[in-house]
Amino acid sequence: MPPAATTSLGYSPPDGGWGWAVVFGSFISIGFSYAFPKSLTIYFKEIQEYFSVSYSEIAWVSSVMLASMYAGGPVSSVLVNRYGSRPVVMVGGVMVGTAMLLASFGTSIMHLYLCVGLIGGFGLAFNLQPALTIIGTYFQVKRPLANGLAMTGSPVILSTLAPLNQFLFDSFGWRGSFLILGSICLNCCVAGSLMRPVTKVVPPKPAKSESKSQSCAERFIDFSLFKHRGFLIYLVGNVVLFFGFFAPVVFLAPYAKHQGIDEYSAALLLTIFALVDMFIRPVTGFLGNTKLVRPKIQYFFSFAVSYNGICHLLCPLLPGYAGLVGYAVILGLGFGMVSALLFEVLMDLVGAHRFSSAVGLVTIIECGPVLLGPPISGALVDAYGDYKYMYYACGVFMLAPGIFLFVMHYFNYKKLEEEQRQSVAVEMRTSEETVQLNMSQKHTHCW
Amino acid sequence: MPFSWKHQFFHIFLLLVSCRHIKTKTPGPTPPPLAPISPLPTADRSVVFKGESHTEKLEVLNPVSLTLECVWAGNHPKLPNITGFWKKDGEAIENSHLTVQLENDQYLIKRVFNIVNEESLGSYSCIFGNEAKVDFLLAAPHIAEVRDKPIVSYVGDSVVIPCKMEEPKPKPNTWKWYKDNGTAKEQIFAAGKLDRFEIKNENGYTKLTVHNLTEADSGLYYCGAVYAIATTMSHVKLKVISIQEPLKPFIAIMVEVIILVTAILLYERSQSKKNSTAGNDVNTDQSHIQVQEENSLEENSSMRQRKI
Repeated sequence: MPPAATTSLGYSPPDGGWGWAVVFGSFISIGFSYAFPKSLTIYFKEIQEYFSVSYSEIAWVSSVMLASMYAGGPVSSVLVNRYGSRPVVMVGGVMVGTAMLLASFGTSIMHLYLCVGLIGGFGLAFNLQPALTIIGTYFQVKRPLANGLAMTGSPVILSTLAPLNQFLFDSFGWRGSFLILGSICLNCCVAGSLMRPVTKVVPPKPAKSESKSQSCAERFIDFSLFKHRGFLIYLVGNVVLFFGFFAPVVFLAPYAKHQGIDEYSAALLLTIFALVDMFIRPVTGFLGNTKLVRPKIQYFFSFAVSYNGICHLLCPLLPGYAGLVGYAVILGLGFGMVSALLFEVLMDLVGAHRFSSAVGLVTIIECGPVLLGPPISGALVDAYGDYKYMYYACGVFMLAPGIFLFVMHYFNYKKLEEEQRQSVAVEMRTSEETVQLNMSQKHTHCW
Repeated sequence: MPFSWKHQFFHIFLLLVSCRHIKTKTPGPTPPPLAPISPLPTADRSVVFKGESHTEKLEVLNPVSLTLECVWAGNHPKLPNITGFWKKDGEAIENSHLTVQLENDQYLIKRVFNIVNEESLGSYSCIFGNEAKVDFLLAAPHIAEVRDKPIVSYVGDSVVIPCKMEEPKPKPNTWKWYKDNGTAKEQIFAAGKLDRFEIKNENGYTKLTVHNLTEADSGLYYCGAVYAIATTMSHVKLKVISIQEPLKPFIAIMVEVIILVTAILLYERSQSKKNSTAGNDVNTDQSHIQVQEENSLEENSSMRQRKI
């Protein structure tokens, strides 16, 4: 497995300059992708009354949107591989904007499923993947920090959209709000326009031997990733951990109310969680960049996942409101750490060149656990009438993959070191000068 | 108000009592009879207290002959006699003054009230001299507020206004809807299927649907929960606006997006023009070196790939 991402990129990423504008653009795109479906729930009650449907029927709008966003991953990857990030994000922004515009004239709940759910979800997929991919093209040395900053978009945009949506709803009802949200989503196009394709000082002739083995991959999706050891470890770990990742956040407020805490204090818990999350993401990115952590960043990720698992196992033991506040803080820390590193470690494993295909494959496979996680947890709560079994289950769903990742990456790092030693020996035999150049580059990201 | 079992039993008692009463009533907007044909059911409420004052809230659903009793521990020094009387809504009730004897170290005042209609509801107070009192607040069940902010809808669209009597409060006999037309409340009748208004009543809640809205439909709407004794109201404001209202911010934001995108792309164009004119000669040299690097890199990566 070629460990050096720079060589597969074929150029030296700027690691700054316009890259920070790109990070800002990704911040917006990623923020909208994750925050937008969650923020729409504020309109559900009125829409439910308007169309005379049950709550679960209206909740499906969110589920369809999330499912489309994850299922659209591979499509997004193919397009990014072909056309680059910028056009895809701009098309995505237009799609979401149009979807909300059409939805504001909706005459039935099916209309909303199609517009908001399907088209909107795909539009968000066209925002998420390219935004993540382009960071890998602009950054190498400072990539964990760039990823951490970009992922901070999610809690920041959610905290902005929540009160904004409330204001829009009070002023314009649901139809007018959907119309205005359509135009707000067009700002993803602004984010897309920032995603200038990176200026590579590339020779006119593309590298032939590389293109031969990768021309098919570049055309569609790189299925050879399924033979990639690191990718498989990541995939297995992630599929399990996503069963228990979102549910504790979704059920935090209901759990608090179940314990007799009033609505405002329960909402305050979520605010505390969001603030901690917002703060820890760039910090995690920064930590991931340090000389100590970067070479073994997979261990950092494994630690973050295991930490989450331990938190969920401890939660039921924490008594009273003070205990819940403490839990909200440590949950925010854990959630933020995993989120900030989630895509950085994938980039670290497969390299920025194959990242686009990798993330597409990962999201469509993660679609299942992401969608099934909260309902399964809900079923556990209903079955036992108590939240603690759900927290235990989520704890296990995160601790087990955490330990799995620790162990597997220990072996993976060993293997990679071995391969690198062999390849270094080969290189030294061929050309002295280019080896020295490569070595100085490799030092910055020893695996 | 602190929850008490006495209150709950009283509640249930009134409910059971009212079941018997409902069979004689016909559904529809007929006012409850002022002089009941059958004798009123009876109920009583007793409060024992110390100190200066006490408040009791009572939910009344049906006409009832209610006995209210106040027992007061008294103040030092305890006089053998004290004057007591009753007030309704702050005004003394005639002929209610009497002298209360100190018995078992307590003062006791009792009176029977006929609660028959909405006017009978209100605040009843028993007063001991000028020193202590108990306020009994009699009211029909209160409806939870629908929404404190107005419901917004659009010209030509329809709107659904709900009203709900929360559990565990007793469900009303029926629901009525009223619109404030400036001077008074006007009842809304949902006549047939072609009517603009549609009222759907279920036991614990009601929904008013208004089709084909016009701006004149804006205003205050009242939903009334009809009980045998009275109708309690809750109100919600409806605001009907035209589609132009949200269109203005929509267009404004779209213009902002177009301006930003154009500005960013133009800036990029100007930047790339600057670069291409400045470093043309330097580039060709650099590309030569790059090609060399590329070639050796290709060999390395192809060798590494063989190892996979």
